[in-house]
Amino acid sequence: MKYAYYISCINESLSMEADTSMNLWKKDLGIELVPLESGTCCGGSNLDFTSPDQFLAINGRNIALAEKIGLDMITSCNTCLLGLRHAKHILDTQPEKKEMVNAIIREEGLEYTGKSEVKHLLWVLVDDYGLDKLAEKVTNPLTDLSFAPFYGCHILRPSPLMGGYDDPNRPHTLEDLVRRLGGNVVEYESKNKCCGFHTLLVAEDESVKLSGSALDEAITAGADFIVTPCPLCHMALDAYQKEALAKVQSGGKMRILHLSQIVGLALGYSEKALGLQKHVVV
Amino acid sequence: MTEEKKDIYFKIFRFNPEVDQHPFYDDFKISVEKGVTILRAINYIKDHVDSTLTYRFYCQAGICGSCSMRVNGVSKLACTTQVWDELPNCKETDVITIEPMNNFEIIRDMVVEYTPVISKLEKYISWVTPKIKQQDLGKKEHIISEAEFKVYDAATDCILCGACYSECSMMTSSREYISPLGLLKAYRMVKDSRDTRSNDRMKVLNEDHGMWDCTHCYRCVEACVKKIPIMDAIQGVRNEAFLRGMKNSEGYRHAYAFTQDIKSVGRLKESTIAVRTKGIFGAISMLPFALKMLGRNRMPKVFVHTIPGIKHVKRIFQKIK
Ligand code: SF4
Ligand code: SF4
Ligand code: FES
Repeated sequence: MKYAYYISCINESLSMEADTSMNLWKKDLGIELVPLESGTCCGGSNLDFTSPDQFLAINGRNIALAEKIGLDMITSCNTCLLGLRHAKHILDTQPEKKEMVNAIIREEGLEYTGKSEVKHLLWVLVDDYGLDKLAEKVTNPLTDLSFAPFYGCHILRPSPLMGGYDDPNRPHTLEDLVRRLGGNVVEYESKNKCCGFHTLLVAEDESVKLSGSALDEAITAGADFIVTPCPLCHMALDAYQKEALAKVQSGGKMRILHLSQIVGLALGYSEKALGLQKHVVV
Repeated sequence: MTEEKKDIYFKIFRFNPEVDQHPFYDDFKISVEKGVTILRAINYIKDHVDSTLTYRFYCQAGICGSCSMRVNGVSKLACTTQVWDELPNCKETDVITIEPMNNFEIIRDMVVEYTPVISKLEKYISWVTPKIKQQDLGKKEHIISEAEFKVYDAATDCILCGACYSECSMMTSSREYISPLGLLKAYRMVKDSRDTRSNDRMKVLNEDHGMWDCTHCYRCVEACVKKIPIMDAIQGVRNEAFLRGMKNSEGYRHAYAFTQDIKSVGRLKESTIAVRTKGIFGAISMLPFALKMLGRNRMPKVFVHTIPGIKHVKRIFQKIK
């Protein structure tokens, strides 16, 4: 299995441990990733309103880089997933926009055609690789641990852009994955709610209330970890945890795992190798 | 032909703040035929089992927007939702929960206090103040082009049912937040060429609890009973702020920083994004965060490397404004 790997800004710097973990185990599963070094930031749900056409061109170019090497594209960030799939949807349905983008990126030897899919790492594991096969690779079943799945918004909504992997009101792929890695799943209200990341810098109080409720519920439900497929949710739930729990008048602590780390643990890698000590809450 | 019929349990939220200390749930078992709506089912309960059950409805056809409530946890219209379609959403087999909308005060059972919605429509000047003089109204026409109408056609479908308001993440955090329906209406008015008060409206939208506080969770979009692309309107209002050069907000500066970084190096310069969003004094409030990251050896790179092929990215920004 081979994919073009879209490098998310946050995984390249603040949340490096997410990608480090994935790079550790991808050999075990035989997943080959070709990093798109000349890809750019997806615009982080900002460029689409500062300049909708620039947003299309930037992400049309990103996807065209994957098309050029004939591979589907994979990302491990929810917001990048949405940005890329949103642009792809417009380019695939509006020929005049596609031509506008191609007229510019042709000079670079690129052409957006729409043939490369854009997928999240979670979808690749669950769907392309398959949970049966993944379960066979588990050397360290997570039997004694309980996990609260936290999906994050941009892998669920808006659902018409998300390929039908999950019903946003009743998602299950992350739970399925946790169970096949041997772990237990706890139920709690916030699993498909918002972490508040995107407004942390403009409305911190309101934003941390959102992550605070999720953390408080997961603690009450008796989870050992929250696991999330999004590095931005990870940041909101981990780095802002103290403020978030204080905001909802709760205490305690909750460790937060990246998707790549829970897979790594089940494949037998140590917490240290997976960078769990890099988190704020350890 | 035999009719499909089934015993369904309705677990219904009850609360009368004048007598009840706490809300509670009542269970009703009724036999329901396929094709019956949630509204007709609870009407049956009210008519035949418990006449004190309280909720709003009027048109029974998805037009008036008064029958919105949470069905199996999700806000929707009771009159356009079929019982059968809800069965796969039941946590317990054939038990449908009925609850009032979130983010509102409860008056009784499913009836909520709707005044805050009206106040927000007032605050954000959600109506057209026409160019045509008062004495000429009804005599002169102001023609709207088809192209213009296309811009806000979808937004005019809103029936103010409140489902988006009830599902909104930011509303849960702060009842002062403008709300998705407020942003949708604002967008619709800002884009209307008949209107004369866009400057005033944009000014209020730019303040706290306004257009920059939306956290892009798309819960409103997912819940909208008229399938209105609300996010296009939210991003549309922000785009308007950009076009007008309204630089005086953290939201504007945050988005501007993203654009500049992509243009200059291709990736985000995370180490300075807080300073550029909040200004140097605002960024000091971020110091605890920075120290925590530093403690874990996780400072963002100060010198972000420039991606190979940046000249091609720059060309995009030259060719498209
Ligand atoms: S996208 Fe914005 S307006 Fe819509 S529900 Fe989320 S926070 Fe509210
Ligand atoms: S935007 Fe949609 S959900 Fe919100 S009030 Fe209008 S019709 Fe109802
Ligand atoms: S009763 Fe009017 S919308 Fe349901």
